[in-house]
Amino acid sequence: MSDAPASPCGGGGGGSHESGEHSPRSNFREQDRFLPIANISRIMKKALPPNGKIAKDAKETVQECVSEFISFVTSEASDKCQREKRKTINGDDLLWAMTTLGFEEYIDPLKVYLAAYREGDSKGSAKGGDASAKRDVYQSPNGQVAHQGSFSQGVNYTNS
Amino acid sequence: MAMQTVYLKEHEGLVHSSVGQLSSVTSAPWWSALGSQPVYGEYCGQMKSFSLEISNYVDQFGAGKQAARGVEQLLDKGHTTQFTIFPGISSSDDCKMSGDAQNPQATLSLQSSLAEPHNRFEIGVNQPMICAKYPYMDQFYGLFSAYGPQISGRIMLPINLTSDEGPTYVNAKQYHGIIRRRQSRAKAVLENKMIKRRKPYMHESRHLHATRRPRGCGGRFLNTKSSTDGNGKNESEVIKTSGRQFQSSASQSSEVLQSEVGMLNSSKQTNRSSPNISGSEVTSMYSREGFDGFSVNPLGSSVHSLADMIGSEHGIIRPTKWVAAVPGNCYNLKI
Repeated sequence: MSDAPASPCGGGGGGSHESGEHSPRSNFREQDRFLPIANISRIMKKALPPNGKIAKDAKETVQECVSEFISFVTSEASDKCQREKRKTINGDDLLWAMTTLGFEEYIDPLKVYLAAYREGDSKGSAKGGDASAKRDVYQSPNGQVAHQGSFSQGVNYTNS
Repeated sequence: MAMQTVYLKEHEGLVHSSVGQLSSVTSAPWWSALGSQPVYGEYCGQMKSFSLEISNYVDQFGAGKQAARGVEQLLDKGHTTQFTIFPGISSSDDCKMSGDAQNPQATLSLQSSLAEPHNRFEIGVNQPMICAKYPYMDQFYGLFSAYGPQISGRIMLPINLTSDEGPTYVNAKQYHGIIRRRQSRAKAVLENKMIKRRKPYMHESRHLHATRRPRGCGGRFLNTKSSTDGNGKNESEVIKTSGRQFQSSASQSSEVLQSEVGMLNSSKQTNRSSPNISGSEVTSMYSREGFDGFSVNPLGSSVHSLADMIGSEHGIIRPTKWVAAVPGNCYNLKI
């Protein structure tokens, strides 16, 4: 229980003092390598009956897997942007990357989520158009979209 | 749990079907697509990158490890058998292919008996490598089994993690991506030695605060709202008991004021009872008799006791905590 309060706010803890690292490097901290485990746990619980529980090592394993998957797809999209000499990765680049990596079946649900996301949040569209936006900041919502797409695909797969 | 079980079963089914497709589809592309020298060169490169990546993964599943080994052994044996039999077979002849399908099974059984002591020896000597290796391969097999049977035209490329174990097959489309991710992970390891174990907490100050918080039975944090409500009710009961007045509940600040008033009233009564032997003492005696009568013997002899009975009846309407707290207040008054 003592770990739970810290995990959701891990992303915003840039200025806080950390134990074990007197001068933390901004590239490879735990909260930068992995998604917040509380959000992943909440998504995993949607697939369980109301009285189901998830072990902590299961949450950590899924956290590592989804984080690696996001890095895998983003790395492919980043290569494409570098070839085209663009600085910003957008949602279409991620869809192209998933097609290139062989995840064609994910494209249709992801297009639905991307369209709903762009309609629902005007700030997202503004960020997409802004060339000076940071890559890391802009990738997070797309990562969430990709993750949700993967989850919905998994649910359909389980039901079938 | 049922959904997870179904999902696991389907996954296993896919693994078996993908193994079957391996034996049927990949024999010709394996020989024609790759030459010997590029294969060995790739093996060496991958081994170097893999040696740097060992620290990235820590095994957390004993059962998962065994399952991964089983799947890996099946794939490796199938591939090896196909490779050894291929020179003497023409892929176009279906009858011969079906006949050879039986021979690989026999060879598989032989290899399984031969491979077991070898695996045991490996487990004894190179256990950390084995522990670090299998979860990584789980990801490969997951990707492979999910997409292999759906598109039959795909070409599988071999990736050799170590010379002892056989090659691992991945989707051809993902080969370059996987190599790139391995290099970036190796670069991350070189730049900053990543922590093998996770930190138990992110921030020291929050950790200290959490350790200092009061915990109830079961180890959960106490809820501040429930404790405040309990204190408020107790104080309001003190007010009602001492003053014999019925006041409606209000916000916490007003409750605090009323509690102070109650304390003053109780102190006044204490001061009165000790020096004087006048009507006030008689009043307090009547109130005590009323409470005793309510709890032990109901008495309706006097007007004061009757008034106390009415007050007690109103108390019955109150929640159970109020009734439970009355004996404590009686003891306080007596003392």
